[in-house]
Formats: sequence, C-alpha cells, structure tokens
Amino acid sequence: MSALALNAASLRYDNGFTALKNVTAQFISGSFTALVGPSGCGKSSLLRLLAGLEQPFIGSVTGLAQSQIGFVFQEPTLLAWRSVADNITLPLQIEGHSPNEIAARLDEALALVGLTDFADALPRQLSGGMKMRVSLARALAKRPPVLLMDEPFAALDELTRFRLDDDLRAIWQQQKCTIIFVTHSVTEAAYLAERALVMQGGEIQKEIAINQTGRDSGFRSAPAFTAACSALSMALGHGTSPGGGA
Amino acid sequence: MRYLLPFLLGLALLTLWEIWVGLAGVPVFVLPAPSLILAALVDNFTALMAALWVTVKVTLLAFVWAVATAVSLAIVFTRARLIEMALYPYVITLQVTPVVAIAPLILIWVGFDNLSRALVIIAWIVAFFPMLTNTVQGLRSVDPQLHDLMTLSGASWWQRLIYLELPAALPAMLTGAKISGGLALIGAVVAEFVAGSGTSTGLAWRIIETGNRLEIATMFASLALLSALGIFLFYLLSFCEWLLLHRWHESFRR
Repeated sequence: MSALALNAASLRYDNGFTALKNVTAQFISGSFTALVGPSGCGKSSLLRLLAGLEQPFIGSVTGLAQSQIGFVFQEPTLLAWRSVADNITLPLQIEGHSPNEIAARLDEALALVGLTDFADALPRQLSGGMKMRVSLARALAKRPPVLLMDEPFAALDELTRFRLDDDLRAIWQQQKCTIIFVTHSVTEAAYLAERALVMQGGEIQKEIAINQTGRDSGFRSAPAFTAACSALSMALGHGTSPGGGA
Repeated sequence: MRYLLPFLLGLALLTLWEIWVGLAGVPVFVLPAPSLILAALVDNFTALMAALWVTVKVTLLAFVWAVATAVSLAIVFTRARLIEMALYPYVITLQVTPVVAIAPLILIWVGFDNLSRALVIIAWIVAFFPMLTNTVQGLRSVDPQLHDLMTLSGASWWQRLIYLELPAALPAMLTGAKISGGLALIGAVVAEFVAGSGTSTGLAWRIIETGNRLEIATMFASLALLSALGIFLFYLLSFCEWLLLHRWHESFRR
C-alpha cells in the first residue's frame, strides 16, 4: 500500500520558476526513500508538495492530512524562547491533545533521540547535533505514519552525521514509519535508504534500489553499500567514486 | 565601576558649578548654584511632586495607549496587506507633521472639555510611530520555516500569533517600547507647553511659569525632575527587556 504518491505533478512558484516537471512517484508504506540530486534540482520542492506546503500546478498529490506528517527541516527550526520539552510538545499543544497524552509522547520522543536529560534546556544551550535531535523528536512526537526530512543533517560535522544516520535507521526500524529523506550526499542516501530517487532539473531521472545485504553489521564497508554509491554517482554523472556528496 | 564612575563625574561637575557660580558672581536668575536648586526643590516639594505626578500620568497613559494601538495595528498590517496599503501613507503623515503644529488643533477639538485627554492624545501621537514600525518589522521577520511548522501543526491564526509571532517579535517590540517611552515624555512636555496656562499643571508648565517669574532655581528643580523621570522610564523598560529576554535572546549572551 502506498502512503504517498505524486501523479504527473508539476510545481510552479509565483515567480514563474518551474521547480517540478511532470513527476510521478509512489512511496510504499513503511519504506525508506532517499531523494538525491544537486542543489536546485527540486528535491525540497517535492517534499513540500508531499507535505501540502505547496500545491501542484498540474497533476495531483495523493497524500495524508498534515497532522499525519512529521516534517524535519534543514535547520533545527526551534523556538528560541521555549525549552526542549516545550519545543517538542508545541505541535501536540496546537493539535489540542490532553496534558497526560502530551507528557507521555514527550517522554517517548525524548527517549527515542536520547535527550531525556535535556528536557528543560533552552535551544541556545545545545550543540548543532542536539538541536537537530530536538527537531527530530518534535516530528516523532506526532507519531506520524510519514516522516519527511529535508537535508536535516547537512549542516553537521561528519561524525555527528554518522551517529544521527544510525539513530535514524534504528528509529525507522522501531517505528515502522514511511521516511522520505532529501540529501545531496550520495553516501548518506546509500547508507540510509532502501531506494533512492535521483533528481535533476525538476524531474526524477532514475530510481535505484539499494541492496540491503550486509545491513546487520558495518554496512559502510559492505559491498552492497559501495555498489549503491557507485550506482548513485553514475546516475548523477560523477563517475564511479563512492566519495560523492560534499 | 559602572555606577561609581558616572556618579563621581556628576559630583565633580556639580562641585565645580557650585564653586564657579560663587567665585564669578553669576546672578541667581541666570544660573543658580546647585545648593539653591536643591533648596528650591525642598521648599516647593509638594507642589513639584504634584506637577510630577500630572506629567507621569500623561506620559504613562500615552505610552500604554501607544503600545496597545501600535501592536494592534501592526497585527492588522501583517494580516491584511490591503489595509496596510490604504492606511500607511496616513500613518506616515501623522508621524512627519510636527506635533507642535498639530497640538493647537487637538487642544481646540478635545481640550476644552477635557484638557488631560488632549495632552494624552498629543503625547500618544509622538510615541506611537516607533512602536508601530518596530512591531511590524518584528512580526515580518519571523523565520518562514517556523511559519511552515505552524502550518504543518494546523495552527489557527490566533495560535500562530500567540505561540510564534508575538514572542518572535518581542525583541523588536521592546526596542520600540524603549524609544516610545522616551518620546511619550517628550510628547507630554510639548503638550503642556502648547496647552500653556490654566488647568494644566504638569512639570513642563511649572518650567514656563517659574521662568516667567524668574524663579530660575525652581525651574532647574523642575528640569531635574523631568530628567529623572526620563531616566527612570528608560531603566524601567530596560529592566522589562532584561526580564523577558535574558533567558533566551542572543543579545543577552555574554
């Protein structure tokens, strides 16, 4: 069953720029898809279309209500005056959940991202990686069937990013949600996803299935990972080096 | 050191003033010695405090009205572009026309029945604009991604205002409030000057009255009280700013 789908959808912004051209794609429930491509190829626009933050100019989106969608932005996008806990519970508060329900979901989300001890901290007291975890926890607290992530770890150092990639995989396996993850990093896409959609010029150029053999331990050194990196780099026109993705 | 240094400087200047006035034999009606000003303050204490209270009331009322109306109008402006387009030129007209020139009109229209209301309106005109522009600027500067977050959470316009826009605009609003607070006092003084004699009995009126009678020491005492009021307002608003922002805002980061 597909959780989300784009049916021959085009997106044009008010300034006349066409960000997406005739895109058709399906996202199966519980799947992990990476959207890969250079800057300005339409990855983020596709995500905004799926989230209902933009409407298609032509075509249609088969989606979910916005309350069913968790969205993680490129920046942590936290409210500086609210504590970690208050940031995480803001969407729940707006949706009008009961205080008990909010408290339970807060504890759950904090545990998932490993920030239980930082509930009362203010965003400015946190590192970049921790802020991103708060942002992820805020999306997870909605218990969304679909998680849309727009280059969430792009601004972080590589070690922090590796750790968050691992955590995200673990959360995905535990929560069994559908994840669509935008990245410009070939290695990150190959490491995280089961499937990558390679985008260029507002179109999906290629769909690449990522062989999951070797997931149990050290996937970064598994042949399947190297092969996926090569395939993605080729599709993006970078030759065969797996080092792509700045 | 931050408090001691200006205090010592002030004390030194007052001492020099006292000595110089005595040595040079400056007439009292040109520049009275600080000791005479202090004596005038003590002698006229009740009358001056009553005058101070009148000015404080006008200033605070004008300030509170300026904040309330400016914030309300700023919210309307950021919600309805058409209303902003229609009203903005008139708001600017009100701002750029010198208040001294409008004041007599306001006194004629409102002042006959209720002078203090006319004074508050004049002071309000002076204090209103910086509060409005700063609030509009603050409300407009909210990160678009935070707006997306509110959209995804299904926030109503009211929730968006309370949870996101007003707290995000708070630093800009407080900057506006500090400017408006000072301007409300200036407006109150201008209003009293223009209103002239009669039922107006604020500090500014005392200054004119004592000037006419050549009671220059009392005039200086009134002036000193006006300055003290201005300084008090500024520090009060700075304290509010600290209270509301120091926990989270970058400007209070050491």
